[in-house]
Amino acid sequence: MLKAGITGINAVDNPAPGIGVVKGLRTAFSDLQVVGLSYDVTEPGIFLASLIDRVFILPYPSRGKEPFFERLMYVREKTGLNLVIPNLDSELPLFISLEDELRDEGVSLFIPTKAQFELRAKDRLIRLAKRIGISVPETKMVSTEAELTKALDDVGFPVMVKGVFYEAKIAASYVEALKFFREISSRWGFPVIVQEVVEGDELNVVGVGDGEGGHFGLVAMKKLTTTSLGKVWMGVTIRNEALFESVEHFVSETKWRGAFEYEVKAAGSKLYLIEINPRFPAWLYLAVGVGVNLPERVAKAALGEVPSRDWNYEAGKLYVRYTEDFVTDMEVFKRIITRGER
Amino acid sequence: MKLKKIAVSEEGFIFDPETGNSFTVSSTGLFILERLKKGMSLDEILRALLDEFEVDEKTARKDLADFVQQLRLLGLWEDGKR
Repeated sequence: MLKAGITGINAVDNPAPGIGVVKGLRTAFSDLQVVGLSYDVTEPGIFLASLIDRVFILPYPSRGKEPFFERLMYVREKTGLNLVIPNLDSELPLFISLEDELRDEGVSLFIPTKAQFELRAKDRLIRLAKRIGISVPETKMVSTEAELTKALDDVGFPVMVKGVFYEAKIAASYVEALKFFREISSRWGFPVIVQEVVEGDELNVVGVGDGEGGHFGLVAMKKLTTTSLGKVWMGVTIRNEALFESVEHFVSETKWRGAFEYEVKAAGSKLYLIEINPRFPAWLYLAVGVGVNLPERVAKAALGEVPSRDWNYEAGKLYVRYTEDFVTDMEVFKRIITRGER
Repeated sequence: MKLKKIAVSEEGFIFDPETGNSFTVSSTGLFILERLKKGMSLDEILRALLDEFEVDEKTARKDLADFVQQLRLLGLWEDGKR
């Protein structure tokens, strides 16, 4: 029986991919127990008993390797956990460093290596883009206000001001850019990234690299509408050969292993690389819905089985996100707060 | 120069599978697009417009050129530069 630990089970206005991953696994495996792994007692997935069988609160990754590993071993003892699909950037370095130990304990993963994880970091993306042969918007790394001023003179306005891990804001003036620089650096540290705004369509690709230069399928989407946080609310599948070629080049060049999201801006026929995320995106259910069940393929690859490589999906399939509300008993909340599990 | 591979519905809804962009066209626009998709030349389409609609050749020629220019601006008309 597959006993899959899934992180990122918050389906709020800034959703994580976990619920989509669970839906994919539920579609593929009948003999499955889903174990939700959560960092916060208010994540909606904790209360979704129809999708998630058991839930355990994990210690924050910032607390270090030991408590994290011990907690996962506790979960394994309680549930027989034999697979984990991590879905959050912030926990990945820890899972990467624990991969061998977890495998020795019978818990499989199919995630990028440390080197791969670091290659696509925001402050190293330009170098990677050169290797893949794709353009990037003009980008400067700045750590002081003097550097910011110089970067703004070079790049011009409007300009993106981005944190090294999260957050991006568009500034239309020097005063605004300085305000964002201060805010973002206080939250995420240095360097802060100053980047040209490229006008164009935002195209995203979800895929799973096989770790040998090939992949287990790609699905591309254009965002049609987004929330104020820039999260997709409606999207449509596309088939764009130039985009696929670029993604396949990235996969073969890095021998990427595991899930990823490749984000570009298309200005006419020219593509600009914006970001590569080392995990599934929150919209990955679109891939499942068009018949390319990538969570199933990650699970099979992790367990040493041979996943399908078919990704012959149709363009023009619409992705629609919606919110749902439900009522449940306080008991679950009480239990998760007092015991850290349900 | 040719029309890009696009999906055109009977009601005039256009979908570009490469970019995900969608558009709607009037019945005259649809008349032209259906013929472009069949591979007819602009001269052949001009004749068809003159047969179908009460319009003088000068106006039809200008409107057809405008329409093709719109297609070009929307990235639906390939000039062979890609």
